Amino acid sequence: MNTEKIDQLYGYVQERCLWQFFSRSWDRQENIDGILKAATDLLTGKELELETPMARLFYADAKIMVADFKQRFPWIEEIGPAQIRDLMHGLKDKLVEFTITKSLNRELNHSLY
Amino acid sequence: MPMVLLKCDKDIPEREKHIYLKVDGEDSRDFLPVSNAATLPGTLSERGCAFCGAKLVIGGVLKDTIQMIHGPVGCAYDTWHTKRYPTDNGHFNMKYVWSTDMKESHIVFGGEKRLEKSINEAFDEMPDIKRMFVYTTCPTALIGDDVKAVAKKVMSERPDVDIFTCECPGFAGVSQSKGHHVLNIGWINEKVGTVEPVITSKYTMNFIGDFNIQGDTQLLNQYWEKLGIQVIAHFTGNGTYDDLRAMHRAQLSVVNCARSSGYIANELKKQYGIPRLDIDSWGFNYMAEAIRKICAFFGIEDRGEALIADEYTKWKPKLDWYKERLKGTKMAIWTGGPRLWHWTKSVEDDLGVQVVAMSSKFGHQEDFEKVIARGKQGTYYIDDGNELEFFEIIELVKPDIIFTGPRVGELVKKLHIPYVNGHGYHNGPYMGFEGFVNLARDTYNAMYNPLLKLAATDIRGPVSTRFLEAAE
Repeated sequence: MNTEKIDQLYGYVQERCLWQFFSRSWDRQENIDGILKAATDLLTGKELELETPMARLFYADAKIMVADFKQRFPWIEEIGPAQIRDLMHGLKDKLVEFTITKSLNRELNHSLY
Repeated sequence: MPMVLLKCDKDIPEREKHIYLKVDGEDSRDFLPVSNAATLPGTLSERGCAFCGAKLVIGGVLKDTIQMIHGPVGCAYDTWHTKRYPTDNGHFNMKYVWSTDMKESHIVFGGEKRLEKSINEAFDEMPDIKRMFVYTTCPTALIGDDVKAVAKKVMSERPDVDIFTCECPGFAGVSQSKGHHVLNIGWINEKVGTVEPVITSKYTMNFIGDFNIQGDTQLLNQYWEKLGIQVIAHFTGNGTYDDLRAMHRAQLSVVNCARSSGYIANELKKQYGIPRLDIDSWGFNYMAEAIRKICAFFGIEDRGEALIADEYTKWKPKLDWYKERLKGTKMAIWTGGPRLWHWTKSVEDDLGVQVVAMSSKFGHQEDFEKVIARGKQGTYYIDDGNELEFFEIIELVKPDIIFTGPRVGELVKKLHIPYVNGHGYHNGPYMGFEGFVNLARDTYNAMYNPLLKLAATDIRGPVSTRFLEAAE
């Protein structure tokens, strides 16, 4: 059940989100971590701290993604915070696998841009 | 197998690694086309050179800068007036071309004196212009002319001028992509941080990777002005040299073309802590999403929603008129790289068009990850495609319309397939809401142009002699 839901969220991210495909593995990791954390907070009603420019960036990306999640996958508003956290954790693992650890992109780990 | 060896490539089987067919049950962990790799011997590439990537794509766009090309006059001529990037100051950048016009004797005895003379001549002839880019080309790089030393000498003698040198001869790298990289990194390291901007708004950003093709920048700038956002620097559409020196003062870098300009956005983040936000500027859905993200960053969401509502009221009915008539159209996109992933979903979502084949001249694997994630199954994804491959792909997918550049466009026209200029546009701008209606209109007009049928008509019927064998 969860796998199916994670696949739905993953399908959306693959199709819509450029932040998962930044140039280097550390940028991808930073985006995945930051945006999914902000999205989890938004989905679970937790207040976000928007003190730094990067926090505001993650919030901007997460806000639009969460609005789309709610529109496309109405079930997401019916599940509790614990399940949201599980789902987002699963989504994060899948994104890291596809875009970083098992990506065939040979430029991901160049030390320079 | 998702990697495809076309019949025309039987003698260059390495091309199989560059052509991907998206199928069910496999993904980019299993297959990703090789790209940003040297063109294979035996394939007639459509690529440009590194110098072209720096000058024609990025530097030559600036509206207040002399573009001195240190090389034979052909390098200058062939990167002049082939792009359509107007400016709001009378198109200074498109009216003039500058070259040191290197001849054999200069190659033999060195070209530094000639470069110095040319720089001074250009500044003397255009006393209102105080900024210059100097580019090396293949011959002047090979003979080792020290263009930085020449620029330094001129600047010491003329303290009111500033010169940026870009050393990316045509032979550097594998395509024009190398030129983008050299210019980006050179600029951030040598020029950013050397001018302090006048800040006029609480909200500031750089808009990176948009080159004002037929007015893209100027159209989008109307949005930023309505939102009250100050664009510190446009990299480089309708931009100025000194604005680009002040990029370090923006709060946000918004990136459209991540391929040509992602490097400088990455460096601005690394060196100055400026966040990088990647967006798509083509298409209604994408443009609205981009505005929402930018406004969310600044905390001005209400302004963004009002702007989107206005634009939708104005332009959506027109878009829908075209969508009704274009629904089901099969499109091929054969451009540089990023437009593949910018366009494939926007034409599908906003116009009901299905993209059946895409080819990139200089995209990297990052671009293929993006486009394969967004594109459909059954679609071909090609790196560094050649002419024979285009013929074969056309047979395989039978596109109704092809978005490509003028070179491949000539081939397409001879096949009587509707063609729209995917680089310089037919009648742009194509970005933003109004721009995407322009793209829809040009697509529709190309599809239903009666001249196409007329051009394919021969009143003599099948009796005329045709010499097709030579090309087979």
